[in-house]
Amino acid sequence: MTHQEFLDQVDAYALGALEPTEARVLEQHLAGEGPHPLCEAALARARETVATLAADLRPVSPPPRVWEGIASAIARGQEPASRAPELPSTPAPAREAVRALRPIPPWTYSIAAAAVVILVLGGINVRDARRSAAQASAAAAECAKDLAEARIDVLRKDDALQLLQEPGTQLVSLKPSPPGPGPSAPGTGVVLFNPRGRALFVGKSFQAQATRDYELWIIRDGRPIAAGLLPPGPDGRVFSEVRPDVLTGGRPAAFAVSVEPKGGERDAPKGPIILTGAVAAP
Amino acid sequence: MTRPAEDRTVLDAVRRGDQRSLEELYRRHSPRLYALLLRMLRETADAEEVLQETFIDAWRRAGEYSASRGSVEAWLITIARSRAIDRIRNRGARLRLVKQSEQLATADAPQPEPPDVHAQTRLRKALGTLPPEQRRALELAYWDGLSQSEISRETGDPLGTVKTRVRLGLQRLAELLAG
Repeated sequence: MTHQEFLDQVDAYALGALEPTEARVLEQHLAGEGPHPLCEAALARARETVATLAADLRPVSPPPRVWEGIASAIARGQEPASRAPELPSTPAPAREAVRALRPIPPWTYSIAAAAVVILVLGGINVRDARRSAAQASAAAAECAKDLAEARIDVLRKDDALQLLQEPGTQLVSLKPSPPGPGPSAPGTGVVLFNPRGRALFVGKSFQAQATRDYELWIIRDGRPIAAGLLPPGPDGRVFSEVRPDVLTGGRPAAFAVSVEPKGGERDAPKGPIILTGAVAAP
Repeated sequence: MTRPAEDRTVLDAVRRGDQRSLEELYRRHSPRLYALLLRMLRETADAEEVLQETFIDAWRRAGEYSASRGSVEAWLITIARSRAIDRIRNRGARLRLVKQSEQLATADAPQPEPPDVHAQTRLRKALGTLPPEQRRALELAYWDGLSQSEISRETGDPLGTVKTRVRLGLQRLAELLAG
């Protein structure tokens, strides 16, 4: 790599926008026979600019357990190494040290809190059986509902993650249609599309309507094909598997969401199209 | 002594194995780094873990810091972002999915400290003067950890165009912030 080639790519390097193999070429250039005053100056300038981009953030104090984890890892013998290689482009051993110190996930606290609630309600039960029985029952029902919803949520997320990891899956962002001023779409969404015949719609901020349904459409060869209704959950989120039979006739050009009378339309959208997104060419 | 010069003195002590100096470095820089990691990773547990990795890395690699390649703060930000980007890329497209469907565990996000208003204003003014496509390319790389190739796929723009936007955008930003 020449100095000029380094200078051409140093901004992307400092930004972390190079692929790992490209980044390694730049690192090898700097580590090679020097000196590289121009290259180093350009890198310093680019890094300072990148660092400045964080100035827009309000600083946030990390919880004490973060420092405690660092101190603990160091106490286990991770001494400073003065001749370590340049910054890694792959995960470094420090991650292994930290993994054991991983902070307790927030949901653990929720479960603990639910357990405390149940225990507290149990205590009240001893003192006032009649009142607490109703409270305990309501709390248990609420907990069961929350847990069921959480479990469904996890399953849906797992489903989406699995699809995302399949080769060829692409993310199609659906944007309000038409763009620009005018009534905004009631929700936003994305389709995880795999050309081997699977697609999943994930949306948020959809409001259930008594007389209307949201309907997903595939646009192929200039024609709309009904791909299923999109029923929102109580929190306005939508996870909906696209009907596999409509994915078998070739690659869609786009996905769209319309608002239709209850039950949806079969042949073509008659209500307003609120979201559209083009499928990228393979 | 200026803050960057103080940082270098503190890092020199870290290089010699002084854990108290590492704690001082942590006290100085962890709030901004943590805010950056929360914004990039969108998950408190991941942000905490990467923050730990960053300072363990700084402890282990203090000897390789070179002032000719930027300030201590820029060095720490580079380590933190590098690790955050690793994590984002390991997640594949998960982050983007999660971002778009707002399934993120940010409800327990810690309270922020007062911002550096002067720096914010300067940065926003500078960003505001960039052409939208350059700004977008920088934002996708900086906050979402996308590589230039991924930005090209995300936006549908040719890779060469994306590369030019990243380079010109960052150079223009550097000029504006220096001026």
